[in-house]
Amino acid sequence: MVFFLKTFISLALGFVALSASADGVNIQIQGPWVLAAPPNVKVLAAYLEIKNNGDKPQILTNVSSPAFEQVGIHRSVMHGNTAHMEHLKELTIPPRASVVLKPGGLHFMLTDAKKPLHIGDQVPMTLNFKDGGKIAVTAIVRSGQIEGMEDHQHMDHSGHENHKH
Amino acid sequence: MNNQSGVLAKRSLALLLVVAVAVTAVIGWWPGKNTVVQPPEEIEDYLFWQAKDLTDFKLIGANSKTLSLNDLKGKWSFIFFGYTHCPDVCPLTMGVLGQAFRLLEKDPAASQEIQGIFISVDPKRDTPELLKEYVAYFNSKFTGVTGDTAQLDALARQMSALYTIHPREPEKTGDNYLVSHNSTVFLVDPQGRLYGRFPPPQAPQEIAEIFIKIRMFYNERSKKRWFFF
Repeated sequence: MVFFLKTFISLALGFVALSASADGVNIQIQGPWVLAAPPNVKVLAAYLEIKNNGDKPQILTNVSSPAFEQVGIHRSVMHGNTAHMEHLKELTIPPRASVVLKPGGLHFMLTDAKKPLHIGDQVPMTLNFKDGGKIAVTAIVRSGQIEGMEDHQHMDHSGHENHKH
Repeated sequence: MNNQSGVLAKRSLALLLVVAVAVTAVIGWWPGKNTVVQPPEEIEDYLFWQAKDLTDFKLIGANSKTLSLNDLKGKWSFIFFGYTHCPDVCPLTMGVLGQAFRLLEKDPAASQEIQGIFISVDPKRDTPELLKEYVAYFNSKFTGVTGDTAQLDALARQMSALYTIHPREPEKTGDNYLVSHNSTVFLVDPQGRLYGRFPPPQAPQEIAEIFIKIRMFYNERSKKRWFFF
């Protein structure tokens, strides 16, 4: 019960953060969260949806967080059943479109946490775009289960397409 | 007179025994011909065509405790190859497996027979002590082990769980390199044979439900085997 309540609060907080949108940048961020991992791990992943409401492509060039030494834009790619990670220099969000960072795909790789993070903790992050726009968001640390289950239902159907990449 | 009837009784008893054995064998053999080998359709994709005997290996856990083939025997082992500097696929899969183990607690007999093993293919950064803490986060039934390249390859090759340690990106400093690894959850049966696999992306419900069916099929099959001698 306490767990559900906590999750609910975390989710609610997550959705409050989603309305973050900066002046001059026609970008909306939805549902930022960090996948909870054992406190002794050095690297975590953050996920969110970036929505470009403008008519021009937006290019995300850099992400930073005071809670980590380094943040990179990464993508997990499956070759057969082997998982690879690739580092992306930038991420383009086409006009009037969304790019979704989610488990098993695109993510921000958060390296060297300054202190151990636990479920419910908040991680502030700043997304920097090529045209100078900045967006501040707060991601909530939570377990992958809720999102994970939904994902798998989608992925069951699209799983075979993924393998062709 | 008494003696004669005694011999007769012994003879008919012996005859009855022979007939009983013959009848039992025929009954056992008859339907068995058609039913023994074929697994139910819903678990077929998760099973290897033929269970594969594993050869011995040695990996190292916390407090220098070793893990070898013998430790897999008598239990169903769920094995995953990964590394702790993996932020996305590894915690996701371990979380899914931990949740599957919790779902399986509803079936105490099955739950008693399972163990989870996380094998780090990145021994340079993942010490056995660190791994102990890492796996405990996901489930108390998980063990974390690693080994040197030869020790890791001894098991990874048998499971075709290929992995690659990539060189560090030149502009980066420190210990930040990436590792590619197979993200299948392998299933080893209580005889220490590679029996099945859960390919990515896995879901807790899927692993729990399929495992129950696999175990049932395995138990049915071993019962029949025993019956056939």
